[in-house]
Amino acid sequence: MSVPVRIALLGCGTEYSGVMPEIYEAARQVEAEVFYPDVTLADVRAAGKGFGLDVHSADLRLMIARAEALVAGRTEADAVFVATCFRCAEAAIVRNELRRYIHEQSRLPVVSYSFTERTTAGTLLTRMEALVTIARRRALLARERQEGLTMGLDSGSATTKAIIMKDNEVIGTGWRPTTQVQQSADEVIELALAESGVRRSEIEAVGVTGYGRFLLGNAIGADLIQEELTVNSKGAVFLADRQHGFATVIDIGGMDNKAITVQDGIPGVFTMGGICAGASGRFLEMTSKRLGVDITELGPLAMKGMGGNVSMNSYCIVFGTQSLVNALAAGNSPEDVAAAACHSVAEQVYEQQLQEVDIREPVIMVGGTSLISGLVHAMGELLQTEILVPPHSQFIGAVGSALLASGFVRKG
Amino acid sequence: MAKVYIYPGTSLILSDLVARFGHRPLGSALAVREKVQAPGLDSPPLQITPEDPKKGLRFAAVEVPSGVRGRMSLHGPQIEEAEAGIIIRDADLAFGCMGCARTNELVQFLLHQRGIPLLELDYPRSDEEGIRFVASIREFLEGLPGGAPA
Amino acid sequence: MSEAVAAGGAPAHRAGVAPGSATKYVFIDSPELTAADLALRAYEIAPGVQIKETCFGLMINGPEDEVERLVAGIRELDPDRIFVKDRGFPPGDERRCRANLGGARPGFYGHENEMRLVRYISSGLRALRDPKKADLLRAKPKENDEPLSVERLSAIIEES
Repeated sequence: MSVPVRIALLGCGTEYSGVMPEIYEAARQVEAEVFYPDVTLADVRAAGKGFGLDVHSADLRLMIARAEALVAGRTEADAVFVATCFRCAEAAIVRNELRRYIHEQSRLPVVSYSFTERTTAGTLLTRMEALVTIARRRALLARERQEGLTMGLDSGSATTKAIIMKDNEVIGTGWRPTTQVQQSADEVIELALAESGVRRSEIEAVGVTGYGRFLLGNAIGADLIQEELTVNSKGAVFLADRQHGFATVIDIGGMDNKAITVQDGIPGVFTMGGICAGASGRFLEMTSKRLGVDITELGPLAMKGMGGNVSMNSYCIVFGTQSLVNALAAGNSPEDVAAAACHSVAEQVYEQQLQEVDIREPVIMVGGTSLISGLVHAMGELLQTEILVPPHSQFIGAVGSALLASGFVRKG
Repeated sequence: MAKVYIYPGTSLILSDLVARFGHRPLGSALAVREKVQAPGLDSPPLQITPEDPKKGLRFAAVEVPSGVRGRMSLHGPQIEEAEAGIIIRDADLAFGCMGCARTNELVQFLLHQRGIPLLELDYPRSDEEGIRFVASIREFLEGLPGGAPA
Repeated sequence: MSEAVAAGGAPAHRAGVAPGSATKYVFIDSPELTAADLALRAYEIAPGVQIKETCFGLMINGPEDEVERLVAGIRELDPDRIFVKDRGFPPGDERRCRANLGGARPGFYGHENEMRLVRYISSGLRALRDPKKADLLRAKPKENDEPLSVERLSAIIEES
């Protein structure tokens, strides 16, 4: 067994919320070990003054002291997990400032999370896995060119995608709504093979990502099974040709969203999830159904409308749908309603998730929802920047997998 | 012998003085001991499971963070059981069970709500303050049922 | 490092910690008495109690009445400078062991903090037997300081 990746836990409330076993379990599944950075009482007493944030809760002061020990190199770690109670304002300030501080002052990958007593190992797994990937696979993640003939699969919650790449070019694509993980994958593989004109046996390496990655990856004997945070980051900067320097990757998915601050293609800070599907592609899918248009038409429709004319809040998908119905009943135009729906989703992602990462330009939007022009426009307005949507952006996970899988192609 | 809730619940000084002067200190250690000795639980380190923050709903509403409610599941029953209490007001460096300022505010509020005899004081920072500190704790404890000069 | 932790899992713990057993910390703040002296005396008083020497004193574990008897006996060695408190976990429990957690358990810092102050408590305990300190004993600890009144402040300024 390899040496476990050491993840420093900076937490407040974890031991009193019943989530420690879940944190340990998620770490165990990715062969990592969670530990508390060692500090002295003098460090804790100085923490408030040195860091400049004078909080009342002693456990938060302890968190600050531990973060300072990590940044100063007094304690060694491979990655940092910052976890505090959901709905605690004092802890949220500390969590965000520490996440920023560690990101700026060290090379340690960091993820922050606010938990409730219902948080499970499953929820934490992808985040822990990403930390481990970044710590353990830096060499693999440094890859900038795809080589050989490789296939990437993205088994997502809403759709399954396949990409075939040869010599740094995409030569085949496949896309299907996800029904059964294996069956949907078989279909998209066939589509991609047909488009590229190559046979399955010619593929030199396969990479798999997405929710179904373990099931699918093990079934087809994939060379690389990797979570979507690192894979999508890699795919995004590759497709957008921004492999060096900073970038921010936003992926509004079918079930949850990812926001990732990337440096040289490697995630530094990331967040995943959201409060409700109201802030995801699912709400836009519902909107298009209600408007009687295909999801591909929703973006252009929204671009013709004025979102400000309609009040819509998709904080919760049920209330969001209610305001959608009300808006139409009140006689608002489909264009305005489409624009309002796009704005609402962008706003939810902005308010709930983008505060947890550092927005660095360029901002790259990927995933299926990046094809909804109205959504990209709304996000650009909120962030006051022009957003990049690279070609094949809807295949981002599959492209990232195909790119990284070429590290497994045997030369000669 | 009276049951005396000590704040901070992790205080060595209060735990020692209350026991030394013949009473039973109710602090975090006893609540944690009950948890870690409970058979059939496997939720290290403190054996607090997701059920405990739910038990904490008796003391704090659902919009209160889980860490506060989980801590209250330890402190709350002891506050209810206490016949008296001693509070150190400037206990800024109490960690773990007492590491959350919001929980600590609630604990002190509930102690006041109980209407039981309470003694509130600051940590001593000189010999003179130490003398007054110990004397006033002894005097307070002697006035409780079952209290007698040590 | 334990096997469980090496595998990334939660720190293992001893199954079935005997219900009804009690663990106490014995802290010593004395220039004349070491943890080893304490341990020696403790073994004499209660051979059936588990005794562990630590950097601050002892950790003792056993049936509650035995532990109480031991505490009473140990206190006699230096009543004003020995301090005792309950502990939730038994000695060496891996759930709370520094070796497994990577860093000190949070409670450690709390003890460290109070140990800076126990010398004042020792003074207080000594004073209880000292008739010359009677006046001080009667003085109440100071209440929350009220802000200085404007009148008093201007008086101070004028005096200076």
